[in-house]
Amino acid sequence: MNTVIEAKNLTKTYGKKATAFTALKDINLKIYEGESVAIVGKSGSGKSTLMHLLALLDTPTKGTVLVDGKDSTKLSTRDLNKLRNERFGFVFQQFFMNTKDTVLENVLLPLKIARKSRKERKVLANSALKIVDLDSKARNKATDLSGGQKQRVCIARAIVNNPKIIFADEPTGNLDSATGDKITDLLFDLNENQGVTLIIVTHDEDLAKLCNRIIRISDGKIISDQTVRKDSKAKASARHEAEAARVKKANEKKGGRK
Amino acid sequence: MKLTDIIATANHNLFRSKTRSILTIVAIFIGSFTIIMSNAINSGVNDYIDKQVESAGGDGYLEMMPTAIAENAMSAISGNGAVEYKENSVSAADQPYITDEQLAKARTIDGLESIDALHTASVDYIASTQTDKKYKLFNLNLVPRGDIHFDLSAGRKPDPESSAYEIALTEDFVSILGFKDNEDSIGKTITLAVPNTIDCYTAATHSECQRLVDATVVGVQAPGVLASGGPRANIALFEKVYDLASDGMSKETKNRAYQATAQVDPKRVEEIKAKLKEIGLTAMTIDDQVGMIRTFFDAILVVFNIFGGIALLAAAIGIINTLFMSVQERTREIGLMKAVGMGSGKIFLSFSTEAILLGFWGSVLGIAVSMLIGYGLNALAHATFLAELPTFNIVIFEPANMLVIILIIMIIAFIAGTAPALRAAKKNPIDALRYE
Repeated sequence: MNTVIEAKNLTKTYGKKATAFTALKDINLKIYEGESVAIVGKSGSGKSTLMHLLALLDTPTKGTVLVDGKDSTKLSTRDLNKLRNERFGFVFQQFFMNTKDTVLENVLLPLKIARKSRKERKVLANSALKIVDLDSKARNKATDLSGGQKQRVCIARAIVNNPKIIFADEPTGNLDSATGDKITDLLFDLNENQGVTLIIVTHDEDLAKLCNRIIRISDGKIISDQTVRKDSKAKASARHEAEAARVKKANEKKGGRK
Repeated sequence: MKLTDIIATANHNLFRSKTRSILTIVAIFIGSFTIIMSNAINSGVNDYIDKQVESAGGDGYLEMMPTAIAENAMSAISGNGAVEYKENSVSAADQPYITDEQLAKARTIDGLESIDALHTASVDYIASTQTDKKYKLFNLNLVPRGDIHFDLSAGRKPDPESSAYEIALTEDFVSILGFKDNEDSIGKTITLAVPNTIDCYTAATHSECQRLVDATVVGVQAPGVLASGGPRANIALFEKVYDLASDGMSKETKNRAYQATAQVDPKRVEEIKAKLKEIGLTAMTIDDQVGMIRTFFDAILVVFNIFGGIALLAAAIGIINTLFMSVQERTREIGLMKAVGMGSGKIFLSFSTEAILLGFWGSVLGIAVSMLIGYGLNALAHATFLAELPTFNIVIFEPANMLVIILIIMIIAFIAGTAPALRAAKKNPIDALRYE
């Protein structure tokens, strides 16, 4: 099983000396291909910061993130943008759609940025919309959709460029439980059938339990990292469990030293 | 993002907030309209002057008068008439008429082909056999030597070299002299009555001292600036009129001329003008004569361009305001675009493009409305007060000028858009996504 993302000694500090606040403290973490990872923690625990760093949306104060073994801090801004565009998909709690644009326009935005041709954009966006079962709404204005439909459009947008990893930040946070379930079904279907690595940031325990790995964060540190479900990928899971335990131990050791 | 996508997206984004964008475009339109319209009018006037000058031909045609008179005229115009008188400061060159000596000197100038002293005399009336009525003729002009061209409605130009008395009427004289139309007047004879200066001192009535000369109508001048001077005679007729008026004078007095015309090498006009100046003759080309009108309209153009410029400055601030609002509203969108891999440069470019498009649409609207009004104005003018000047368009839209104006306005819009576009480009994706 390949490591897709590896965090090495990640530290993130906000503000300047006097008012400095350390959101993340020396995080070490490996995420393997095909995993579904829940990053769980209370608000202010640092879970969103961790996701932003792993998704290369933000730069760490110390440490580094390796994507496919490549050190992201050594990449140019241009290559970083390209990497995010081609490898990552994003789903956010607040959707972030251009409500005055059509559904199709919203979905094909990453392809437009990737300089794909008009024709290719249309084909890929339509097939992504088919996956989320919204191909009939392609020409509708995004503002006419319900919350669940909007989040499905966002999933279509996240998968339109066939990413390896999807980052989802409280994907069901703005939805009622019935529509939320539909969204989670979609995400886990992508994970299980398309081999997309799923990284979900949530404070919802029920959502976290659906993932095969739960990383708990508190005060900027990993307090537990466990694989909760063993399935056909047992061998991989066992390896990563051992790894997770090692990481946990290392973290505790460093925490203890303080 | 491809450039075509950036432009298409920017245009699409502009019209997401229709009212705001349209109002900004209207502001730019006001400035561009002012500039485009005044430029088009200036083009129209200049084109008309050019056409007149060009149709007059006369490369190398000079009209001259004694410098003393020219300066006199200038001081009358400028109001600066206080010139100190010095003993012995009056020389031959200060004579108010052209002397034989000056003419002789002028003939030695290299490149001067011919020079004719112009002896002018007044004409009392013009008459024809078609009607009993006689009409005052205030001004009889000359057809000088050279390739000078007149727009003619009928017939031909009076031949400067011919010894027969030939005249080209203006259209207003054709009908009042009893001719059916322009063509009808060609070949007919008209009579000019010239008062003899000496006789008129002693004559009991004015008609007793008048002498008559018959001339053949060979052409009719088309309306235009050059035709406004009145009928034109060939040199033979012109000289005959003077002979009749000056008969009985001493030879010296008779020979006095106040004006002269010359035909010179067109390539050496400026050089010859300078040499003529040295011998006390101020010479002007046709272009020099219309230069005054040009200067006047150029000054008006400058004033209107300043007005337009001020309007554009206000519009530029409108662009800045509009875009800052847009950047603020779309903070999360910017965050998302950055998250999915759009670089800061492209973000800057897409907002700049919106600014440029505002400028583009504003100036295109300005051109469209100017053209609509301009062509309407041309049609109206041709139907009414310009009916006699069919070659004159009040406004002319020169594609090159329009293009330059569009470009300049787009550049102004781009500069106005840099501050908001920079703000958008500098946004951190995380902060932008968190923005409420």
